Amino acid sequence: MDVILVMCAGVLVGSWFFPKKYKKVNERLQVVCTVALIFCMGVTLGRREGFLEELSTLGLQSFLFFLIPSLFSVALVYPLTCRFMNGREKRNKRR
Amino acid sequence: MVILAVVALVGGILYGLSGVEVSAVSLLAQNSDLVLYLLMFLVGISIGMHEGILQKIKQYHIKIFIIPFGIILGSLIGGAVCAPLTGYSLSASTMVASGLGWYSLAGVTIGNLAGAQLGSIAFLSNLMREIFSFFLIPPISRHLNYYTCIAPAAATSEDTTLSMMIRFTDEKTVVLAVFNGIICSAAVPLLISLCNAIF
Repeated sequence: MDVILVMCAGVLVGSWFFPKKYKKVNERLQVVCTVALIFCMGVTLGRREGFLEELSTLGLQSFLFFLIPSLFSVALVYPLTCRFMNGREKRNKRR
Repeated sequence: MVILAVVALVGGILYGLSGVEVSAVSLLAQNSDLVLYLLMFLVGISIGMHEGILQKIKQYHIKIFIIPFGIILGSLIGGAVCAPLTGYSLSASTMVASGLGWYSLAGVTIGNLAGAQLGSIAFLSNLMREIFSFFLIPPISRHLNYYTCIAPAAATSEDTTLSMMIRFTDEKTVVLAVFNGIICSAAVPLLISLCNAIF
């Protein structure tokens, strides 16, 4: 919940005070924060006791439990958003 | 961005495994919550700079629930499909899939309900869901649509994976991602309990 509140504060700053000329700086800072966050996640994992052993013994089953539910979620959300939310028009053509 | 993410993840794991303590890096790792807050604040600024976004979201009315509905139903079906493949019961499989990427909660809750081994699987699989979402969002935004980028992220779409959403989708999808994350996060403990009780 606190994360949402912080984001709402950002929305207020963005809509009222934030100069448009710093839009690119804001985007670059987001990339830096994202990379830092992923790195921190990696550090937490690496420090977890028995992480490699867990990964080697339960890794394949865990991978299936990640992959199949994710695929089914995508397989349901895509047609639903195409049908009800004009999702066909919302595709990234630039990147 | 994807390459940067891979390098950051592998670098972090190697640093954590090495046991080396560099004070600046350790300080960063200990305060990852602050990094997340800063990121959310910056994402909020991007949303705030996009005029008229809330009016566009309001146009969806009840349709705003389509994405969390699809994610939850898809995850439960996927969990049920995993049951015969992994040899776990329908109850155990759907419980693990009910984590929706919230690995800390799913790992602890399922560990308490069904034992340490299933708890570890819940932790790892939901962690994988979060990590792989970072890498799935770019191709999904190119080949499917923006809204579907929220599907693999599930409950994490309101925080950690939101930065990828804003980079590879648009502000409207980011707001929908936050809404979806709230719904999915609220649903996780309910779904785990329900799957444990029903199946």
